[in-house]
Amino acid sequence: MDLNQSMRLLSSWIAQIGGLGLDLLWRFIHLVVSLWYIVSGIIEAVESYAISLGLNKKYSSINIEKLRCLAVVVDIEEARDVSKVIELLQWLRTIGVKQVGLFDSQGLLKKSKDMILGTVPGSVLSEEIGEKNSSPDQNPLALEFISSSDNKEAVMKAANILLQDYLKSSRPENDKGENFFTETHLNEALRVVGENVHAPDLLLVYGPIRSHLGFPAWRLRYTEIVHMGSLNYMRYGSLLKAIHKFTGVHQNYGT
Amino acid sequence: MLSLLSSLLSLLFVFLISCCIITNHFSFRPLSLLKLLGVIKFTASRDDDDHYKRDEGTYVVGEEELQRELMPRHVAVIMDGNRRWAKREGLLTSQGHEAGAKRLIEFSELCFKLGIHTVSAFAFSTENWGRHKIEVKCLMSLIQHYLKSKIQYFQREETRVSIIGNLTKIPESLRQTIHEIEEATKGYKKKHLILAIDYSGRLDILRACKSIVHKSETGLIREEDVDEAMIERELLTNCTEFSSPDLLIRTSGEQRISNFFLWQLAYTELFFSPVHWPDFDKGKLVEALVSYQRRERRFGCRV
Repeated sequence: MDLNQSMRLLSSWIAQIGGLGLDLLWRFIHLVVSLWYIVSGIIEAVESYAISLGLNKKYSSINIEKLRCLAVVVDIEEARDVSKVIELLQWLRTIGVKQVGLFDSQGLLKKSKDMILGTVPGSVLSEEIGEKNSSPDQNPLALEFISSSDNKEAVMKAANILLQDYLKSSRPENDKGENFFTETHLNEALRVVGENVHAPDLLLVYGPIRSHLGFPAWRLRYTEIVHMGSLNYMRYGSLLKAIHKFTGVHQNYGT
Repeated sequence: MLSLLSSLLSLLFVFLISCCIITNHFSFRPLSLLKLLGVIKFTASRDDDDHYKRDEGTYVVGEEELQRELMPRHVAVIMDGNRRWAKREGLLTSQGHEAGAKRLIEFSELCFKLGIHTVSAFAFSTENWGRHKIEVKCLMSLIQHYLKSKIQYFQREETRVSIIGNLTKIPESLRQTIHEIEEATKGYKKKHLILAIDYSGRLDILRACKSIVHKSETGLIREEDVDEAMIERELLTNCTEFSSPDLLIRTSGEQRISNFFLWQLAYTELFFSPVHWPDFDKGKLVEALVSYQRRERRFGCRV
């Protein structure tokens, strides 16, 4: 074998070894990143359990009065497991939340309404609060069941009501409806359609996607949105942490 | 000495082999060597144009891979944090807004280069009129200055610019500049920058209802024709083909929509970044896009 061939062979070996070395180094970097995320996840889980056990004093008292209305968005796949939703509601009741809106795009939770109301102690439909004393509990948990039909379809129906009222009303010819189509009027029309117009203060999203999945848009103007991950892996500590963080939020409302 | 060295090398080799096995277990897909060399070359380059390229349908930006076919068509951004950034840097509020304006130009330029068709930005909300008069005046001047000075830039880049919102309260000079830039760029179709000025999501819905009323009065539509699609067509985002954003980015750690695109954001991926808007650089945008591309969006249906 002459010198040239030897050199070629040697450089080929060096290239292959170099390539293998770089590949292994790259995998090592991936391993480091994976370990980082694993460690972060473990720390978060430990913190969550510490909060659940009351070991973290910071979360022992929460100014729950600031949270007047909480909404929970559940991905439709996860909404099929109603037991998890019931567990979540029980946690919320323990924390002291008084009003909860449950949303899933297909209305699965609406269909399980009776089971949920029968299983979660002290829970009543939000429409029944104040109308009659249906719950002997002094601090009932008011529940509202919402689906996609309460979003755009409801606004469409309300718009139709406003249109009909406008066309039937006697108004000056140059009236362009400036005084007829206001937020107040649309709120009223939505109430006529049977919708709740109260805006939730905090929206918790349970699911793989960080999206509100079609929650009634009209109500979301200044709502804090927190993505909680999958409902199957929900933790009491994470819930408490999210609510505690909300109570510390200060909004300028654009000013 | 030699035996010690060989032992150390053997241990390192065993460790790296186990790394291979573990990363395979975690289903990590390491880049091939050629792509790695490409990444090293690109990150070493100082020229912005070399920081990404198309390579068999992917963009490599820094050390992240973005799939071209998974790129959002419409990205919306709530540019929050200019004042807090300025305070942190020891600057005036106006300088914070100026830095925010520069960041928007860079942001939209990068989005378009990555194949995103529409970029919309929440520049000034209806609620912002409640701010100090001097700050509002400064903001209006800044918007006017940037729009006027960038007309040729947008023409060169073949970017259509649209301004949406209730434009009746803004200064007349700004309204003229808006008309000028919209006219100068209305023919471009591949890239679209939408600025929301004096915009309110609720008022957008109401305005759509009013528009339907007027059409009904002229006999163009009947009462029973009003449906979701009709309302959607009357919203201010009807200027773009992709009216519903695929991805919404909000900076400065605030996790809310603040009356922006209420109707349009039903299935939008929400990305809340803790950094202030002037600091939202290329890396942060890539982070948002990677996060978006990893999600499985079902639009409310079961797949």
